[in-house]
Amino acid sequence: MKLLKIAKREYLQRVKKKSFLIGTILGPVLMGVMILAPALILNRGGQRQTRLEIVDMTGSISSELQESLTDTLDDGRMMFDISPLEVSGRDEFEEFKGELNRRVSEGIIDGYLFIPSDITTEGKAVFYGKRVGDIKSIGRIRSELTHSVVSRRLSSEGMDYSVVKDLIEKVDLKTIQVEKGEEKESDFDFLYFSSFIFIMMLYMTILMWGIAVERSIIEEKNNRIIEVLLSSVKPFDLLGGKILGVGSVGLTQYAIWGVFAAGLSAYGLSMGGTIAKFSAFSPVTIVFFIVYYLLGFLFYSTMFAGIGAICNTDREAQQLQTPVVMALAFTIIIPMMIIQNPDGTFATVISMIPFFTPIVMFMRINVLTPPAWQIALSILIMLGSIYIAGQVAAKIFRIGILMYGKRPDAREILKWIRRA
Amino acid sequence: MLELENVIKTYDELRAVDDLSVSIEPGGIYGLLGPNGAGKSTTIRMIMGIIHPDEGRIRIFDEPFSEKTKERIGYLPEERGLYRRMKVLEHLVFLGEIKGISSDVAAKRAAEWLERVDLDEWADKNVDALSKGMQQKIQFVSTVLHDPELVILDEPFTGLDPINTQFLKDIVIDMKDQGKTVILSTHLMDQVEKLCEKICLINKGKKVLEGDLSRIKLDFSMNVINLKFSGDIKVLENHPEVEKVRSFGQDLSVTIKEGADPAQILRAALDKGKVDRYEVGEMSLHDIFITKVKEEGGEVEDETLKNS
Repeated sequence: MKLLKIAKREYLQRVKKKSFLIGTILGPVLMGVMILAPALILNRGGQRQTRLEIVDMTGSISSELQESLTDTLDDGRMMFDISPLEVSGRDEFEEFKGELNRRVSEGIIDGYLFIPSDITTEGKAVFYGKRVGDIKSIGRIRSELTHSVVSRRLSSEGMDYSVVKDLIEKVDLKTIQVEKGEEKESDFDFLYFSSFIFIMMLYMTILMWGIAVERSIIEEKNNRIIEVLLSSVKPFDLLGGKILGVGSVGLTQYAIWGVFAAGLSAYGLSMGGTIAKFSAFSPVTIVFFIVYYLLGFLFYSTMFAGIGAICNTDREAQQLQTPVVMALAFTIIIPMMIIQNPDGTFATVISMIPFFTPIVMFMRINVLTPPAWQIALSILIMLGSIYIAGQVAAKIFRIGILMYGKRPDAREILKWIRRA
Repeated sequence: MLELENVIKTYDELRAVDDLSVSIEPGGIYGLLGPNGAGKSTTIRMIMGIIHPDEGRIRIFDEPFSEKTKERIGYLPEERGLYRRMKVLEHLVFLGEIKGISSDVAAKRAAEWLERVDLDEWADKNVDALSKGMQQKIQFVSTVLHDPELVILDEPFTGLDPINTQFLKDIVIDMKDQGKTVILSTHLMDQVEKLCEKICLINKGKKVLEGDLSRIKLDFSMNVINLKFSGDIKVLENHPEVEKVRSFGQDLSVTIKEGADPAQILRAALDKGKVDRYEVGEMSLHDIFITKVKEEGGEVEDETLKNS
């Protein structure tokens, strides 16, 4: 089997490279950073103390706020450093504003809160500050201010805040996913999050290894070894061996990640993590993940191989591959729509279009298992599409790999496909 | 050993190979000669099964082409190269393996060859660490590593330094001595004159001349006399037996008519002038080619050939 010899070389050359090791280790690290970074940055905003001055026209709310805004930061300091400001009336406040604004600009204080005397009836107050985007601090101020105002309104009607609060307590609506007659507690955030990690992995690996096939063909054209190879093996074996070899590199990478993930989750469990959280990474999910990776990789890498065969430089290939990459990228901008309505017409139709099937169908399976016939159909569609793409690519490949110089135009390529 | 029967290959408008029939006997060195663009590489690619003829039949080792045939042929293409990021020995083993020999055998033979070409110290180095000349040696070795019965070399001397040229000639003669068949394709006709026993000259996809090189030389050389002559060359130009006179100062190349006696021309020259040198000339393969093409009303388009 010469195909296997080609695959073996392709596989070993890649796995032995340092860049493979680095990519395999750095990949998940980078992904972790990408996912965690926004959360970390958001959190850090709340880690600063807010020095707040309160101009209170009601005369009583500011002291209530001083008592209620007693949150502490991670380092044990108070979240708010509040100092009330005595002003006799609105006019004096307007005069004093210039001075207050100066203090904000110079960073002596972070902001000041103006509470008008009619706040109970009008329900309006103003916060002046530099960091108005500090959602966490401003949210706290808003909710405690609301608490004070609402209490006042209620007591003026003869009602007690804590009593009313209990009376208007929200109903806790639990969501339970029913799958194959079994009940499973579901958590939308987690579902979305885990699906997104999986589809990002699918997207990145299909793209990365598909383009690796393309580049490898261009490289062989450039270093002029292609004709030596063709004098020993059939074009089909060369193409097939290449795809098999590179695809196996992808699988190896998954295996390494899988071992790490298993180790981590085992560690997580031993540290008292919840089993429920890991149910999304069930063996069934893993199997489907591998299946759709292979289908997606075979389909896309075949197309990338065809592109590689008609290009002489990576730059040329980049132009040609753009539509293919866009088709793949489309699937990672629609996950919200799929997850919200995984059984809808849109999701169902999209999951049957070969360009989108690998990622979209996998996403649907991850969220809610679609009927078995749909899964089977999607796999059949993929196999058929791979076969067709393979036939076309083989024909382009056969002629294209021996062409140097000018890139053939679309008409010429069509002629090859018809003739070969 | 190898038979082409009425083979035709057309690219768009261009007929690269036009009704070509060639038969090559086993053993010896066979020259496939012609200017650039004559259709030599296309012919070889068809022999190797890399491209398929539009019409005609090709039989190798007395059977139709199959994938197994490739394993019995060693092929050095005109466009040749190596994987730059592979170790030398690994690379040779890989190329041997895809020619159907086991990795053990390939490794053993590759090691022997590397010793023979003085590159054994480079076995574990990356190919791109080798000089261009060294890489060429590796390419020759890879062509014969699987001990093929038939070796096809397409423009093998292009870009070689004198040492590698000699080295390659040695390999070719070695193969011949072992009873193998070598097909040498080149536009540098004069360079292979001493190597080939049989040749086929092609031009614009058509066969111009085929046969034993010594026989062909003999046929053509009887028609040319080289003279160093001082005197009026009109004597020769107007001689009834003379076809054409080419003069390079005192050195004349006289083409005589078919069946004419060279001695008669010499006598005529001696009558009217002084002759310092006289020989029944050897016509170079290159001149034979041009003569033959013109004889058939054809044209030689290749610039490099005209000036060579």
